[in-house]
Amino acid sequence: MNPNLLLAIPLLPLLAAIVAGLGGRLIGRAGAHTLTCLAVGVSCVLSCLVLKQIWWDGVPAYDAPVYTWLVSDSMHMQVGFLVDRLTALMITVVTFVSLCVHVYTIGYMADDPGYTRFFSYISLFTFSMLMLVMANNFMQLFFGWEAVGLVSYLLIGFWYTRPTAIFANLKAFIVNRVGDFGFVLGIAGIAFYTYSLDYRDAFAAAPHVAQATLHLTGTTSVNALTLICLCLFVGAMGKSAQVPLHVWLPDSMEGPTPISALIHAATMVTAGIFMVARMSPLFEYSDAALSVVMVVGAITAFFMGLLGVVNNDIKRVIAYSTLSQLGYMTVALGVSAYGAGIFHLMTHAFFKALLFLAAGSVIIGMHHEQDMRRFGGLAKYMPITAVTCWIGALALIGTPFFSGFYSKDAIIEAVGESHRAGAAFAYWCVLLGVFVTALYTFRMLFMTFHGPERFRQAAHGHDADHEDGMGDAHGHGGDPHESPWVVTLPLIALAIPSVLIGALTVGQVLFGSYFGHAIFVLPANDVTARVGEDFGGALQFALHGMLKAPFWFAAAGVAAAWYFFLKRPELADESARRFRLLYRILCDKYYFDWVNEKVLAPLVRGIGTGLWKGGDQGLIDGAMVNGTAEGVGWFGGVLRRVQSGYLYSYAFWMVIGLAALLGWYLTHL
Amino acid sequence: MLIQVLFHVFAVILLLAALGVISARNPVYSALALVMCFITSAAIWLLIEAEFLAVVLVLVYVGAVMVLFLFVVMMLDINLAELRKGFTRFAWLGWITAAALIVEITGVVWARGGLGGAIDAHRSVVAPLPADYSNTLELGKLLYTRYAYPFELAAVLLLVAIVAAITLTMRRRTGLKQQDISRQVAVRREDRVRLVKMDAEKRP
Amino acid sequence: MITLVQLLILSGALFSIAVAGIFLNRNNVILLLMCVELLLLAANFNFIAFSRYLNDINGQVFVFFILTVAAAESAIGLAILVVLFRERRSINVEDLNTLKG
Repeated sequence: MNPNLLLAIPLLPLLAAIVAGLGGRLIGRAGAHTLTCLAVGVSCVLSCLVLKQIWWDGVPAYDAPVYTWLVSDSMHMQVGFLVDRLTALMITVVTFVSLCVHVYTIGYMADDPGYTRFFSYISLFTFSMLMLVMANNFMQLFFGWEAVGLVSYLLIGFWYTRPTAIFANLKAFIVNRVGDFGFVLGIAGIAFYTYSLDYRDAFAAAPHVAQATLHLTGTTSVNALTLICLCLFVGAMGKSAQVPLHVWLPDSMEGPTPISALIHAATMVTAGIFMVARMSPLFEYSDAALSVVMVVGAITAFFMGLLGVVNNDIKRVIAYSTLSQLGYMTVALGVSAYGAGIFHLMTHAFFKALLFLAAGSVIIGMHHEQDMRRFGGLAKYMPITAVTCWIGALALIGTPFFSGFYSKDAIIEAVGESHRAGAAFAYWCVLLGVFVTALYTFRMLFMTFHGPERFRQAAHGHDADHEDGMGDAHGHGGDPHESPWVVTLPLIALAIPSVLIGALTVGQVLFGSYFGHAIFVLPANDVTARVGEDFGGALQFALHGMLKAPFWFAAAGVAAAWYFFLKRPELADESARRFRLLYRILCDKYYFDWVNEKVLAPLVRGIGTGLWKGGDQGLIDGAMVNGTAEGVGWFGGVLRRVQSGYLYSYAFWMVIGLAALLGWYLTHL
Repeated sequence: MLIQVLFHVFAVILLLAALGVISARNPVYSALALVMCFITSAAIWLLIEAEFLAVVLVLVYVGAVMVLFLFVVMMLDINLAELRKGFTRFAWLGWITAAALIVEITGVVWARGGLGGAIDAHRSVVAPLPADYSNTLELGKLLYTRYAYPFELAAVLLLVAIVAAITLTMRRRTGLKQQDISRQVAVRREDRVRLVKMDAEKRP
Repeated sequence: MITLVQLLILSGALFSIAVAGIFLNRNNVILLLMCVELLLLAANFNFIAFSRYLNDINGQVFVFFILTVAAAESAIGLAILVVLFRERRSINVEDLNTLKG
């Protein structure tokens, strides 16, 4: 594999980002979008080329440094690429979704003053994500990790004059930081044991580190590899929004819809999943860490899904759906079905991006209205959007033959086969999660595209509490209309893989030898292989699936959604009133935000203020810096009194000194 | 025996005169008490047979230095009333320090058998001397041979003292027209003479 | 007979009295100079006593020089005093504090 080819993949979007960012005014809006779309397009083509080389041509994986940044006492900090099958899959997905989002943005952000800035940011993001997945050492991984976090911050707060956007981007950045803290500790642990930052050395040393114990305090000690893996997973929890570090993802919907699709559905949030899969040689040796991963994922999968049922903002429903699906991927990782997790990552990237972009299309069609209670019956005004959204929804709930079905069912079966601690709990979570997923997804569909046209009824009792105060959903804005081709084309482009890619690739990717050496699974843990024992092809898997539990749970969810939100919507309100407490808890998002805002943040701010006032101002400035100066001054003032100018004083002290000296000599000689 | 009595008498007078120096209100009385000190100490020195120095003390110290003191005291217009403000608040500390000094010195000298046994405390200072011993001669023998150089230096020192004293106190009268020789010699022709070319005038 | 110890005690007492005089006196610079003379006298006493005790004439030579220096020093001290009095019109020590730090 040509290293220049590999270098071009991340660097082209970077160049485009720099030119569009710094020279936006020079090259104009058309210049900016053409340049960035072209750059990402070429990257996409090159990534497909790499994928073809790795998969069909059988080119061996590429693992080499490209540039050595610094060498410190035999620890090399380099820029290097590890391009194997896992990487090839990831870069293809990332660049393809990024390309779709780039094209989509031309239409979506058409009347935004920060047009060129936006393109610069999303290209920059593409660069950062590519560097992350192509890394062959922890330093570059961390660089990419932080860079995507930074660009996410910039993009969530894109409309920086809005206070809610600023709150959201700070929240995202800070919560990510908490995860990154754990991540850095994990990396430090690796460096401590292997004295190297390369993946190769870490993976080779994993069995030895698994035997080592780390003494934390005098009496407690813990298995080193477990601790390291847990720390790394904390980073993944932050980036991939697992409970309790999930609080930033719903708020991140403050950003424009294209980035919700790109970053918070398909790419950045999957960085954590990718990282754990990449680190499978490490995680496999620590059952305890994997159990934790599984349980955390299961909790996220089920409980976050529940929150999607009560939310009324279309983007937030999809955000909670993302959280839930990320939980599924994490559960897959936790049962050592890394392949299934990555497979679901890939299919999810397509249909979730599709859902977000479709939601964006609805939003611009409704003149920037986002509350689903003001939608209804839009199918006949926005047919392409409606159809593609239906396709995405069907894929999401795991309808047989759609791509989501293959990945989700594989995960559920893998969990069923696992005997790891906590697997039973995880199985019930993911199974019930299917019901919940179907419920909220179809609720969203029915409320938006079908049923009565509520936007007409809201003409009179309508107050101006829109997201940005512009436009209203009735009358003089015009009826909702289909979006321009730059918006609908990506929708169609994403709908196709949402349907097909699962069926086409499941055999090879999941049960075949696609991942090869990229993912490492200990034979004892290989649940995927056990699931694969009865695999007889995509068609047979789908037909078989219709007889299994997940399908029936999904069907029940669809039926419930139809009944409660389309046929007899008043029942929904009735149930909300009946189960008031549960409804309250769900609406308050299990009080995670409350704890963060009212307890943790003031606590940390209090500590900071205390340290500032007490430590910095009081101690360092006051006592140490000014204090010593004042002390010297005071002492000088005291000494000054000795210089009285009086002769007699001087004589006096001389004589007293003389007498004292004599006395001392007398007694000591 | 007689010597001892005389010594003690002179010693007592000496100490009382010293106390008088420091406690007299009038500075003239202090100076006179100091003269008394010197005379009694000259007497004591005579007793211990350092006669040259005893006489020199009287001649130089009393005769010259104390006279000078008295001159100055009487020349300065000292406000006696102001001088009556005597001792200040640290007087007690001063007395204590002085007492401490005395006790210490006595302790050194006497208590431990005389400088820790270095002195034979009972031997007389007045040692027997040969009959034709001349203190002056002995001093002179040393002074002009071994200590000739310091002697000359002492003379120069006195010269310097004279010059310094005069320079310090000399007053110049203002308004005197005095010659400044150096300026006279440093004059240049251009400052004094100016040649002017003039045509001859016709006599009318 | 006069013993060395007696002479030493005498000179020590004289020294202490002079020292007391130096700092018990607060109002008279002339008294200061006179006390300095007393100090020198006490030192001379010591020299002569030891010179006679050790039968070494060098002590008395040194007294000679001390006398010289004392005379010179008192002359200059008084000259300074006179000039000071001309400027300040006072010989009170407490007025002489321009060296105050």
